[in-house]
This record gives sequence, C-alpha cells and structure tokens, in this order.
Amino acid sequence: MDKDRKEGIKGMANPGRYGIERVAYWLMRITGLGLLFYFIGHIYETSSLLDGKAAWNSMLELTQTTEGHIFLTLVIGMCVFHTGNGIRLMIAQAGFGFGKPRRPDYPYTPSSLNMKNKLCIYVSIGLAALAMMYGLGVMYDV
Amino acid sequence: MMSSIMRESHIMKIHYLTALVAVGFVIIHIMIRFTHGSFANSLEFESVIANYKSIPYAVVLEAMLILISVHGFNGLRIILLELKQGNAYERAVTYGCLAAMIALIAYGSRTIIMASMGMVEA
Repeated sequence: MDKDRKEGIKGMANPGRYGIERVAYWLMRITGLGLLFYFIGHIYETSSLLDGKAAWNSMLELTQTTEGHIFLTLVIGMCVFHTGNGIRLMIAQAGFGFGKPRRPDYPYTPSSLNMKNKLCIYVSIGLAALAMMYGLGVMYDV
Repeated sequence: MMSSIMRESHIMKIHYLTALVAVGFVIIHIMIRFTHGSFANSLEFESVIANYKSIPYAVVLEAMLILISVHGFNGLRIILLELKQGNAYERAVTYGCLAAMIALIAYGSRTIIMASMGMVEA
C-alpha cells in the first residue's frame, strides 16, 4: 500500500497496471499530440507552394524517402486510432455502453470497464494497423 | 480562464463537433488525392495549384484548417490542464493555446487565399 502511494504520478501513468483502458488513455494523448505536430508541419510544408515549383519540389523530396513514408504511415495509424477511439469516447460520454448501475460488491469490478469498450479499443488498434498497411501500399504503388 | 468565457461542457461539445465534421472533410481531402491517378501524380505542383484554384475545394481546406486547429489546440489545452492546475497556469495555457490556434489559422489561410488567387512565384 505504501509503495503504491509513493509511486504518485508514475503509478497513475503506468500503462501496464490498469489494462487496455489505460493503454488507450495514453495512446489517445500521444496520437493527439503527434497529429497536432504533424498538422503544424503540414501547414508549413504546403506554404512552400507559394515560393514556386522548385521550392515545392524540394520540400516534397523530404517526404518522398523511406523515412518520410514510414512517418506518413505512422500518421495514418495515429489518425485512424484517434478517430476510432474518439468515437468510442463520445459514445461513452453520452452514457451508452456502460452497463446498468449496481451495488458495489467484491471484487468491485467496475461495470464501465466492460468487454464492449475493450473490444472497441482493440478494433480501433486493428483498423489503424490495416490503414497503415493500405497507406504503405498506396505510397509504394503496390 | 476559458471557463470564465465559456462553460467546459460547451467547450467539450465544440471539441466533439469539430472532430466529427473534420473527419468528413479529411475523407474528402484524401479522396481528392485519388482523383489524380496515383499518389505521386496528386502531389505534382500543377495538380496542387489546380486544387487550390477550385473555390469549393479551397473552402473545404479552409474549413478543415479551422476545425482541426480548434480541435487540436483545445486537445493540447486539455492535456496540459490534466498535468497541472492553478489559476495563473490555467490562464497561461488557455490563452497560449488560443494564440497559437489563431496564428496557425492565419498562416494556413494566407497559403489558401494566395494559392487560390494565383499569387504564386513562377
């Protein structure tokens, strides 16, 4: 018990302790930040269009590399997971998929952390993986 | 604090609404890439300029810019407010995110307006 208390914010952040819901919590934040940074970069990248064809092509060369394609594939994955999990959270916040309220009895399993929500998280991860594979195929003209 | 301007429940509704509408626009944005044949063709200078010169598509890009900026910077504000609380900190985070959002929308709008009006260096 004392050990748990000493952990503080590290204990809260530990993705291994509270199951897939805590993993989803962290993935949602990490993908959100990643997509925001990508969006800022994308706005800057497209502004090179105003400097003419040469500037556009040289900016494009940076992304048309293996590293650039891997980065874009990660962006696709982040986008799909963030969307799928975001829709799950919206539905949950609207009060659906939580189960019925009941008396808290041992072993105090919260009805909100149920299989429906877990399944939605796994489906979001699966869809992200599929979209990443499809994106790679498009980028490499496979 | 943002809560003095608007209730957090209203901000969350805006957060969700911007997300849902932005998803629709992002799908249009990606589908437009496929109308050019291959991914590489769609990124050619002439193709991209032609996209910007289409007024309906320029409106889609502007709407997407605003929606994603609002959603993204509000998301950043929520993450930062989860980490630490306090009046001065919350005010700094809220106004900082608001300023960054306005700056990004202004910078992106400049590109959209100039490219759609053909104000591009030869």
